[in-house]
Amino acid sequence: MFRISRAGLAERWTLFAGAALSVCLGVALVQSSLLLIISAATLDPPPGLPAAERLRFAENADASVAMLGVLLGTATFLAVFIISSTFGFTVAQRRRDLALLRLVGGSRGQLRRLLLGEAVLLGGAGAALGVPAGLGVMAVQSWLMRTMGFVPDGFRGQWRTWILGVSLGTGIVLAVAGVLLAARRASRVRPLEALRDSGEAARVMTAGRWVVGLIFLAGTIAMVIVAPHGGPAGGQAISLNVPMCAAAAVAAFGPLLVPAVARLVPTGAGGPLGMLARANLRDGRRRSASVAAPVIVLVGLVLGQAGAAMSFTTAGIEEQHRALTADLVVESTGPIGSKVTAVPGVASASTEIQLPARIAYGAGESAETENGDALAVDPAAYAAAHPGSETLRNLTGRAIMVGPGGDIPSEGTVRVELPETTLGDLRVAGAVPATLAGGATVLVPAGLVPPDQLTSAPSRAFVRLAPGVPAAEVAAALSHVGQVSDVDAWLTADAEARASTNNKIMVVVLGLGALYALIGTVNSVVIGAAARRREFAEARVTGLSRRQVVRAALAESTAVTVAGVILGFVAAGAAYVAVLGTTSAVTGAGTLQVPWGLAGAVVAAILVVTGTTSVVTSWSATRERPVVLLGARE
Amino acid sequence: MTTTTAATATAVSLRGVTKVYGKGAAAVRAVDAVDLDLPRGGWTAVMGPSGSGKSTLLHLAAGLEHADAGRVLIGGTDITDAGDRELTDLRRTRIGFVFQSFNLIGSLTAEQNVALPLRLGGRRPSRSEVREVLASVGLGDRVKHRPREMSGGQQQRVALARAIVTRPEVLFADEPTGALDSAAARTVLDLLRAMADAGQSIVMVTHDPGAAARADAVVFLRDGRVVDHLTGADAPSKHPTATQNGLKADTIADRLAAWER
Ligand SMILES: Nc1ncnc2c1ncn2[C@@H]1O[C@H](COP(=O)(O)OP(=O)(O)OP(=O)(O)O)[C@@H](O)[C@H]1O
Ligand SMILES: [Mg+2]
Repeated sequence: MFRISRAGLAERWTLFAGAALSVCLGVALVQSSLLLIISAATLDPPPGLPAAERLRFAENADASVAMLGVLLGTATFLAVFIISSTFGFTVAQRRRDLALLRLVGGSRGQLRRLLLGEAVLLGGAGAALGVPAGLGVMAVQSWLMRTMGFVPDGFRGQWRTWILGVSLGTGIVLAVAGVLLAARRASRVRPLEALRDSGEAARVMTAGRWVVGLIFLAGTIAMVIVAPHGGPAGGQAISLNVPMCAAAAVAAFGPLLVPAVARLVPTGAGGPLGMLARANLRDGRRRSASVAAPVIVLVGLVLGQAGAAMSFTTAGIEEQHRALTADLVVESTGPIGSKVTAVPGVASASTEIQLPARIAYGAGESAETENGDALAVDPAAYAAAHPGSETLRNLTGRAIMVGPGGDIPSEGTVRVELPETTLGDLRVAGAVPATLAGGATVLVPAGLVPPDQLTSAPSRAFVRLAPGVPAAEVAAALSHVGQVSDVDAWLTADAEARASTNNKIMVVVLGLGALYALIGTVNSVVIGAAARRREFAEARVTGLSRRQVVRAALAESTAVTVAGVILGFVAAGAAYVAVLGTTSAVTGAGTLQVPWGLAGAVVAAILVVTGTTSVVTSWSATRERPVVLLGARE
Repeated sequence: MTTTTAATATAVSLRGVTKVYGKGAAAVRAVDAVDLDLPRGGWTAVMGPSGSGKSTLLHLAAGLEHADAGRVLIGGTDITDAGDRELTDLRRTRIGFVFQSFNLIGSLTAEQNVALPLRLGGRRPSRSEVREVLASVGLGDRVKHRPREMSGGQQQRVALARAIVTRPEVLFADEPTGALDSAAARTVLDLLRAMADAGQSIVMVTHDPGAAARADAVVFLRDGRVVDHLTGADAPSKHPTATQNGLKADTIADRLAAWER
């Protein structure tokens, strides 16, 4: 069997090279995310760092670990999806070869062993290449994170020897898992199929596909329903995961959906070429579905996640707009409250001083600590400046409130540790409404914090003017206290900063993953064309010129790509429904921002890449004179 | 597998075998209640108009297709209800196939293609054993060639070598000369004749009366039913154009033309 395996490898090299490449890149991506997450989690603050910055460092490290967690999740999803779909496709493409083996006495077990043996071989080879490739990916990703300021300058992903085993294991397991279902199915191929010309299986929507598709569909629906009830943090997390689930569902139903949608796409090639392209679409359902699958995932994931993140940012900004009654903002250091209110024309001001803090709660097994911000506030002033947080007025004694970004229980006691001191056990009196934009973990009455802790911490005062006082005059007077801005200008600047952070996160999380999915698309176009040399030759002896064959193939692949893009939009749309539900539940107004610019760029890139690949592969598949190909009857 | 009769003179027998494709109004009775005994050590040709069910009959007899009704016996073994394992075993050891499209594996050399059924059966055939079989079909000098480097006639002879390398009880051939010119076809038919004379049971579907005339008997099919049967005994022996076993191409062509009307 092994010799057949090896001979097969040499013959169908594009198929196998494509499969190994998908493993190599998938393993590289997963390995890099895994090493980065471990490096970030074990990152120690540089020695001699002041206590306040130590806490800040820990908070940033937590944030980058969380971001890398999302990166790891995305990378794993893409690897599982692309590798299994590529391997399944290569098996389906060889159906006729396998039927032939059955015809001359191969048993089902032998076919299964052959395919699984190949998967181990290819998965191992791909993973072996993926380990060094992963180091390259890690260099790129840690460079991205450094230049975007998510990690300190000295941050480097670190090598761990055990990752060798993990990467090899991942490659082999994913490859084997990818062919497992396909091999079972392929081993049941009827020997008679070797005598039919087309290698296409009659039933393309297999039971396995139905099961997988329905599970992911149910998952998608459940997530869309649950997201609005998950609170700001939970709702955002769920919504960001909807695109993956939805894309997997749509891709599983690919053999049904892709040809149906593709048939509606005007191919541009009229007359007999258009007819040929459409007939091939119908005939090659499995191929169409396999080419469209990575496109669906690419479009669904990038547009779904980017759109969700953008929408949440926008919703957060609008929410903040509504939840702030102030005319001016003063930014300074230390407790500036008395200086601000002393300025004539200031009716009231809420001064908020931001302190890095470690908050511990729970006891025994369930004890937890959270790195975040403690905001030292004047409860009454805060309540006046932030509509919705009126409960703060009742805050008395040694009690605090959970802040708008706090993910801790809103009752019981917590220990709040500041950089150089601890505030001891404090009663949690309640919580202000959580917001999409997040913010401080706890709100602490300024009187509970030792004054020396406040003097050098950044502070902000939200100022309301007395009626009829010209803002410019007050602003001029306040400029001695700190930097003054008009509240609208301040909100806009804040929004821009948030949006830019959000974009950077998207680049880190999705950049290389999108590239991987794009390569997966190229891969499946190449694999799809590899088995069509004979078909192309037949078209040419029927009277088509080489140029016409290439054009018909291009029309077909374009239709399939466009279908993939449309279905990807459907997957992204599911995420948008979750976004609308979550934003309207949290802020009272549904917010959706579709990244049209990004969508245009992604679609253009996909069309150019698949179009070019299709032309190159079909041109090279028609290089030989057709008679040479038709002469050998395999 | 159930063995009904131990020693039997028939290589293949069909009892009321029926195969229907499709359902309802679109149903086609490709093979319709056929009773047929094909003798051991004889070469039977199956003829009939296109679409008369010849290929289907062959597939049923070889266990490649499942009969909707009736029973199929190969060498006394009832394969009608055989499972996949038994059928695989059957293909490996007891029957061989040749088809109009040669169905060789393109990535393997002639030698590897021929050795394949033995290897699938778990044997490691010696090089000389495989080469001997290739030499017997006149391809002793083409062992290292791949299918695309060979002519159609040569590819078909490799397929023939692959079919007989396991020394099968019955050799099934579906239009083995259909894609070949007359010279290449003659070479293949000569090989089949020699095998039949050496005691090999052969069932061959063909369109060519000339090819059928090389067989020992001809069965005519029409609309899925056996409508006629010719053996050497039916032909005037000693006739000048008669082949060695007495069947005459003209007679066969006349019968075929009559059934095609
Ligand atoms: N897989 C199939 N599905 C549906 N109908 C089939 C199938 N195979 C054969 N048939 C039908 O069964 C009938 C007999 O087909 P078969 O291939 O046995 O004919 P044949 O005698 O071999 O013809 P030819 O000489 O043209 O090869 C035909 O009407 C054909 O359309
Ligand atoms: Mg036929």
